[in-house]
Amino acid sequence: MKKTALVSTLALTASMAAAQDQDLPQASSEWFTAGQTTIQEILDRQPNTNTARNVIVLVADGNGVGTNYATRLFVGQQEGGLGEDHVLPYETPEWYSALVKTYNINAQTPDSAPTAGAMNTGVKQRFNLINLGEDAVTGDCRTEDANKLTTFAEIVSGMDKSVGIVSTARLTHATPAAVYAKTAYRNWEDAIEAPGDEGAEAAELGELCPNSKDIATQLIDAMEAGTIDLAMGGGRRHFVPEGTETDEGGEGRRADGTNLIQRAQDLGAQYAWDTATAQELTLDGSSPILALFEDSHMEYEADRADEEEPSIAEMTRMAIEALSTNENGYYLEVEAGRVDHANHDGNAYRTLTDGAAFAEAVRVADEMTDDEDTLIIVTADHEHAIAFNGYCGRGSDILGLCYEVSNDGIEHSDQPNMAADGKPYTVLGYLNGTGSVLKEPTEGGNEWTGSRPDVSQEDATDMDYIQQALIPMSSETHSGEDVAVYAKGPYAHLFDGTLEQNVIFHVMHHAVTADDAAE
Amino acid sequence: MHRRSLLATATVFLAAPALLRAADPDGPLKIRELYEKTGDMSQLALGLEGERVTFEGYMAPPLKADAQFFVLTKRPMAVCPFCESSAEWPSDILAIYTKRVIDVIPFNVGIESRGVLEIGEYKDPETGFVSMVRLTDATYSD
Repeated sequence: MKKTALVSTLALTASMAAAQDQDLPQASSEWFTAGQTTIQEILDRQPNTNTARNVIVLVADGNGVGTNYATRLFVGQQEGGLGEDHVLPYETPEWYSALVKTYNINAQTPDSAPTAGAMNTGVKQRFNLINLGEDAVTGDCRTEDANKLTTFAEIVSGMDKSVGIVSTARLTHATPAAVYAKTAYRNWEDAIEAPGDEGAEAAELGELCPNSKDIATQLIDAMEAGTIDLAMGGGRRHFVPEGTETDEGGEGRRADGTNLIQRAQDLGAQYAWDTATAQELTLDGSSPILALFEDSHMEYEADRADEEEPSIAEMTRMAIEALSTNENGYYLEVEAGRVDHANHDGNAYRTLTDGAAFAEAVRVADEMTDDEDTLIIVTADHEHAIAFNGYCGRGSDILGLCYEVSNDGIEHSDQPNMAADGKPYTVLGYLNGTGSVLKEPTEGGNEWTGSRPDVSQEDATDMDYIQQALIPMSSETHSGEDVAVYAKGPYAHLFDGTLEQNVIFHVMHHAVTADDAAE
Repeated sequence: MHRRSLLATATVFLAAPALLRAADPDGPLKIRELYEKTGDMSQLALGLEGERVTFEGYMAPPLKADAQFFVLTKRPMAVCPFCESSAEWPSDILAIYTKRVIDVIPFNVGIESRGVLEIGEYKDPETGFVSMVRLTDATYSD
């Protein structure tokens, strides 16, 4: 009886509160009405249980929750706002979201190979390898045959869908490779190596691992098998023989002398290597497409010239146009690979300009597709050792100094916060990397010492500025912190709570096979 | 990267925009000011050829001991195991030929180097390092 009375009282209170919303002193606040609007948008959201004809996964490599936060502020500030309240294209209420746990089977701090593999096969994998089961050993090609997993690309190819890859990194790099490759080591981009002390002679390697192939060869094999229909990105050198000049005057790296670009063309593939040749591609789905815009990774967005190579958004547009000619649908993975590389450099400017370019690619993909039949997933493979200082006032430039909070206004004051050493500091920093304030002794010994350099707003916002870090390392590292996943379209509502990374595959798989499951 | 033809081994070419000079016209130049995004030499660079100028950057770990040559990088030369499968030079570096044998400065300590700007291909006879642009008769300090 007592409990019933309590429940009734609570219900009455809630009812009174609802009835009196408009009477609350804060009811006229824009924050209040915006909050109500958001609630209504979420209430209006209906689970989409259509079978997905198309699946697009957009991965910004290294774009964990922290890096994504920085990109949000950067884009908002570039558009003239304060930044904190900016909404990236995938952050609106129509997108479902969840947190993702990114660790690998044997690594608390993950790398991009097994994380992308988890998304493409449905199981966690081991550090530095791609699409092999848990008994595989990193770097040992002898363990490949017994551990090869089936990829999402192979599954949907069996459903007569097309498959495409877009990446600003090399197409043989970990994240794009996870769509088509199975390898014991992610760096075997143009050749495999013998395990341990077995020696590296090609003949012996053939006996040890007769079925093992380098990653570039696996891409063209997949194109021949029909499990890859479009691939756009960098990495040309891994497709061209040693001693052979590439399209831009570089040199191939293939020791086996195979010209994989020629092989792809002999299979009927169209080939592009710069913006002009990309614009000449026929996007009617009649033939596979191979586009290799750089010998290594494509340029950072900050350094890219339109006339030299297309943006990630433009590549995404071309890919969707070509793949959508298949009436059975398609699977497309898009990777902004260089968000990760700029983080490794400790260079926030290029991290965020590439993050902004990624957000634009998401906007294009969403605009070109229909939520009724296309599941779009936006996520990252892992986070970095990126961190944020306080207490910064609103609108402090995410690339610049952390300014004091204004007590009587909204935007920050004109005084930078000072650390105990009497120097200002930036909003964004890294825990480790080349920006370390500790310097190697030049007179021998191991006493790394140093103090923080003074930094001005002009220095900090320069495109080449390296944010200050603590632990000295030659390259800033990944971290095991969660990333987010955002999704819309068929079965996007399955993304909720805190999920293991391999669950992403299961949502994709469920979305494309839902009809079959119901029968 | 259309016109940025890589020569064998380590060719020097410089990415990024030719920006207008910074607020301080007498301050050190940035490596990125040497080139257009397309890889073409900037008007600024062409106009400074043969002049004694100062650049800021970082000393990459020297290629050999007791050298009078090092590579100036615009950012500390990070070695990223997950970006590159083997060590390679970034695409935006400046060769520095010094007056004296160099004293190594840690790769992540900012320095300035002053010397005569030379443009055109040159292969270092000792290291085989090929540069397209360099400072000669240079000094440097952190």
